[in-house]
Amino acid sequence: MSKPAILSLHQALMKSFQSIENNQKVWGNVLADCSPLMVSLANLAEQSRALSNVQISNTPLRDFPDLEARLHFKILQATDTVLVKLNEKMSSLQSVRDTISNQVSAVVQLYEQSADCLDLLTVTERSATAPSVSDMLEWLQDAERHYRQQFLRRKTLLQTLRADDLSLLESAPKRWKSLESPSAEEHISDTLCKVSFFIESQ
Amino acid sequence: MEGDFTATSANRKCSAVAGSTRKIKDNAADWHNLMVRWDKLNEDGFSAAANIVNIRLKRSPMDQWLLVDESPSAPSDGAAELQDECCKLQVVINKMVVMVTKMECLMTSQRGVQDLEEFQFGAEGRKFPLFHSWSTKKFEESSRLLLDYFGQELKLKQTILQELAHTATSDLCMVYLSCWLHQPFIPPQSRLTLEALLLETGHRPL
Repeated sequence: MSKPAILSLHQALMKSFQSIENNQKVWGNVLADCSPLMVSLANLAEQSRALSNVQISNTPLRDFPDLEARLHFKILQATDTVLVKLNEKMSSLQSVRDTISNQVSAVVQLYEQSADCLDLLTVTERSATAPSVSDMLEWLQDAERHYRQQFLRRKTLLQTLRADDLSLLESAPKRWKSLESPSAEEHISDTLCKVSFFIESQ
Repeated sequence: MEGDFTATSANRKCSAVAGSTRKIKDNAADWHNLMVRWDKLNEDGFSAAANIVNIRLKRSPMDQWLLVDESPSAPSDGAAELQDECCKLQVVINKMVVMVTKMECLMTSQRGVQDLEEFQFGAEGRKFPLFHSWSTKKFEESSRLLLDYFGQELKLKQTILQELAHTATSDLCMVYLSCWLHQPFIPPQSRLTLEALLLETGHRPL
């Protein structure tokens, strides 16, 4: 009775881990693209601050009509461009998160449907090459939670940014970097190593 | 002017109308090329300008220290480097001056086309547009607009060149760099004007 159920559960687990493996790379690449964008944001804020600190009429630039307004406009425009790019990156992160969340919830649902015909031994049994079903479900949920939280934190950071709040923009790269969680990423990589034989076995 | 071109497949359609068409179309292409090259020059100039500011800001605490110490031998190593970068920036500016001169020529040539038309057709100009919908005057207006933008921007850049290496406050240095990078006198609509020009003259497909 439990044989077909455990087989299809294994299939689903395998698919989820493969999906996480692929998406982990995508996630990393997108984040790598974001860092230089955050640095440009801070840089533009620094330029705005310098502009507001300087009294143009006391400098050799005084002869240029509405230089300050024009430059301010150009800086704002550049800031806007960077923010648009960052938002595009956030959409990529969101789609990674959605893919992983959907995969994992599908597996959990499948487990719940067949939980009645799976006894404790089947669920916790492990072999030299395959971890137990319960362990793998836990790892999947850990990974899913990680991407969900990461996405939310980064999205929140971006949403609090305002083009006219220079100190927020200036500190953005630092705060963005502080959201990094190498231990969680490592944990996911470890998990993928642990299930590598299992993934290859079928 | 009329027999001045070879009828290749690319320009045969225009050549059927008049020499002015060819002239305007070539001018539009020149505008495009000049603006692309200007952007490239702007990038080159920016790296030189950024180097100047870096050398300059690195040196300024040293200068203060020298005032106390009164030792005359130390500061020369940065000076040669600074001079070098200033020369690079000067070269960029010289090229930009040449480009604005070329833009003025384009403007003059456009004016010439306009004068010819007034001579041929009177003050209200030709009845049918040379291309899709623009009157000949419109080309001249576009050229003048672009020339004004770049002329003013060149003046700004010349001022920056003169002042940059003599500026000690970091905020003002930043404003100069920012001006160089963002080109405040070349507004975003310059790009639109160019695209409109290219679209009207058929360089860009409608």
